[in-house]
Amino acid sequence: MTSYIGKDVARLEDHRFVTGTGTYIADVRLPGLVDVCFIRSIWPHARILAVDAGEARLTAGVVGVLTAEDLRARTLPFTRQFYSAIDPILATEYGLRIGPYRAPVLAEDRVLRVGEAVAMVIATDRYIAEDAAELVDVRAEPLPAIVDPHEALEPDAPLLHADIPGNVHAEFTVDVGDPVAAYRRADRRMERRFRIRRSVGCPIETRGVVAQFEKATQQLTVWSTTQTPHVLRSYLSEMLSMREDSIRVIKPDMGGSFGGGIYPEEVAVAAAAIVLERPVRWIEDRSENLASARHSRDQWHEVQVGYDLDGRIVALLDDIIADSGAYNPFNVTLSFNAASHIRNQFDIDNMRVHARHVLTNKQPTTPVRGAGRTEATFVMDRIMDMIALDLDMDPAELRLRNLIPAAAMPRDMGMYYRNGRRLVYDSGDYPAQLRTALETIDYAGFREQQAAARQAGRYLGIGISSHVEGSGYGPHEGAVVRIDGSGHVTVACGSSPQGQSHETVLAQVCAEVLDIAPEQILVRSGDTALLPYGGGTFGSRSAVTAGNAVYLAAVKLRDRIKEVAAEVLGGGPDRLLLHDGRILDPDDPARVLTFRDLARAAAPGSGLTSAPGLEADSYFVPPTVTFASGTHIAVVEVDPGLASVTVRRYVVVDDCGTMLNPMVVDGQQHGGVAHGIGNALLEEACYDADGQFTTGSFLDYLLPTAAEVPPVEVVHQSHPSPLNPLGVKGTGEGGATSPPAAILNAVADALRPLRLELDEIPLSPLRLFVQIEAAGGLTP
Amino acid sequence: MSDERTISFTLNGSKRSCRIRPRVTLADLLRDQLDCTGVHLGCEQGVCGACTVLVNGRTARSCLMLGVQAEGVSIRTIEGLAGAGGGLHPVQQAFSAAHALQCGFCTPGMILAAVELLGENPAPSQAQIREALSGNLCRCTGYANIVSAVGRAAETLRETRAPEATSGPEAAGGSPAGGAENSRPEGAR
Repeated sequence: MTSYIGKDVARLEDHRFVTGTGTYIADVRLPGLVDVCFIRSIWPHARILAVDAGEARLTAGVVGVLTAEDLRARTLPFTRQFYSAIDPILATEYGLRIGPYRAPVLAEDRVLRVGEAVAMVIATDRYIAEDAAELVDVRAEPLPAIVDPHEALEPDAPLLHADIPGNVHAEFTVDVGDPVAAYRRADRRMERRFRIRRSVGCPIETRGVVAQFEKATQQLTVWSTTQTPHVLRSYLSEMLSMREDSIRVIKPDMGGSFGGGIYPEEVAVAAAAIVLERPVRWIEDRSENLASARHSRDQWHEVQVGYDLDGRIVALLDDIIADSGAYNPFNVTLSFNAASHIRNQFDIDNMRVHARHVLTNKQPTTPVRGAGRTEATFVMDRIMDMIALDLDMDPAELRLRNLIPAAAMPRDMGMYYRNGRRLVYDSGDYPAQLRTALETIDYAGFREQQAAARQAGRYLGIGISSHVEGSGYGPHEGAVVRIDGSGHVTVACGSSPQGQSHETVLAQVCAEVLDIAPEQILVRSGDTALLPYGGGTFGSRSAVTAGNAVYLAAVKLRDRIKEVAAEVLGGGPDRLLLHDGRILDPDDPARVLTFRDLARAAAPGSGLTSAPGLEADSYFVPPTVTFASGTHIAVVEVDPGLASVTVRRYVVVDDCGTMLNPMVVDGQQHGGVAHGIGNALLEEACYDADGQFTTGSFLDYLLPTAAEVPPVEVVHQSHPSPLNPLGVKGTGEGGATSPPAAILNAVADALRPLRLELDEIPLSPLRLFVQIEAAGGLTP
Repeated sequence: MSDERTISFTLNGSKRSCRIRPRVTLADLLRDQLDCTGVHLGCEQGVCGACTVLVNGRTARSCLMLGVQAEGVSIRTIEGLAGAGGGLHPVQQAFSAAHALQCGFCTPGMILAAVELLGENPAPSQAQIREALSGNLCRCTGYANIVSAVGRAAETLRETRAPEATSGPEAAGGSPAGGAENSRPEGAR
């Protein structure tokens, strides 16, 4: 029985947000602050001949114009990839090969994509900076651009980077079982090609950086819209050649963030503050964000699948081309995630995944909510429905035949995960999950409704998708829990939110251990000054890693509180209990202390025999990822005249283990599903055939609105994780993982007689119209 | 620059007068000169709705208005929504109660759009709420809790404002929010 964990505790951070008093990056104000406007490449690929900023520099209000030349002495380029601690076993087992990585902060002699930062104009306000940017003359000689990764793979294709042969930056092959033989032996074989087009994370707040350098003390403070303040600090330290302890990174309130990593602009703005010796601010505009924040998805999958006549899959072979853009900052994170998750909840003993990260003249692709799993899940679950169609079997029945049974848990999937540990599905009951989803949506009843609607000329369809998610990626997360001098409880954590409710959820965890109301606890994060190490918020990890770090630190603090109280009160700690900000002996009313009493007793010089202070820290190091899972069912209606798709109902059955706050979990699921609906039907970051970026506003890049996203019905399974003390699994990305597959399966089901392939997302009305017409059209 | 103009308007109930350059947007005027940093800029292209303010009671994209266009108008921002004693407006309360916000960046614009809707339609259906909010983008919540929050706020406002209204809310336009949702505007784009 818990007091606070698992309760719908109202969010402690809400008040400042509903009153508009949050402090987001653009609200950080410093005396003498000047604004940056980046000058960005308009060419997909070009040699820079000269940057003439003479006229701009003379403009009233301009503080400076900086190019790569100006920063050369101040910054090193990026040479370390993100989360690059790849276990060597992947090289020996899977032939993993990763090419060299060198990405400049500002473009040096070449630009490799539209939107690449070439120079920065700094002025007393943004209006002047933008005007002056127009006066900077960047002369360049356009070079041929490679837009399609298949062209980049042609033997005679020009090389984007001289030291990366074949334009392939990274490659591996995972073999499980004997996939080729199993495929050859299969009763039936199918070959399909899938395309998951490019999308953008699109937080509603754009990126921003504010930097201040105190010359006298050589202290640099950087405020940034980052998911990983400590990681950013380590990059700044390396690239600016500064002591890590001379740099403080602060992440203010942040208006969402769905992936991306450390950015060149963060280093450039920090360097500018050092060079100009005054505080500098850059607030991105939306066109910059769409073109220059990192993109995601953009994978091609060529799949061969072998199955028997009962519908059991016996072999899966997938050849992945990941279009990584001009640089590949996240090495194989996306493709290895795809390889690790493509078998989904299914019992498939023979698999081969060959993946190549191919370079093109586009924005780099990096993890965004879903991060390779959305892609793999789309591929696997469309295949499931294609097999069902081939065998004239109900997709739900086909899935049940292939699901890993609960009795098989934990299930070693026969390969290593990205962290070098065995890939093991640690817990869960997938068949029960599917049955719950089918019951919730009334699958059988829907089939009757569908038939009746069809008689009335309406096209309704239903689609299923399930997924697994290795969540809570390490290597560690830290927390410090203390009672301050005034007797109040503070939690400091290395993982910080972009909307995920850390201030409430981590307070609940601490409250559970110390038996004090969550609203009495102050949760602080997003500041490298709070604690020496931190991971960050990404990869559905914070509830797992930060949650358990807070839990373990709070347990240590509880012991420490008892130790101090026992010394003050006498009589040993065994019978002492914590309750509501006091420590007491239930059998002896005289033995009681408030946290304030304790704080005084533990102060230095108070005569305590142990070291002073009431503080405990913990760094939780998860043994490996823990597998969350979910099953989604979508009901859609297709308008045959407009070829448009409306999602009518959406059911999620989710297993994220122990829920810390079900209200927050539901919110994560709702938002994730909306993101997935965008990926399925709307969102596409487009380049034309020449490599020009063509979706530079929210009028071109379509986000789902309140009119497109139905209410999401969330049902919870809870199979606690055996891999951490709280039993939690991540829930941040599951919502975004299954919608493309569920929705396209539903569309295919609505138009079942046409036997549409639907092998590409987003499924725009135009693409659907073309497929309907190619299949002979709909007869009314 | 010498081309500054002096403009006067009402901001959250107080008369204000300021000197601004003609090209400065209303959003920048409010944020940079009048400390209304609850006006959030998400696109500066008039699409996302985060910078929504009420101008003479009607929603406006403050990124698409120039500051000089505010001459003589009455502007309400999120900062002016809570009561004088700091008590939250029913829409603000409902947003928190229904977990209708996560990162909080779209929230001020969303709340002001809801305030406009509820001023015009005290008992909107879920479809009407969705339509009214379809010009405000949210990337975190998936909208369902926002729709619920607006429905809750509508109930609260009906109870506090018109306890003795002769026509019940059901008469005001479709089924009031809170009931089952059975129709949505299709293909808003």
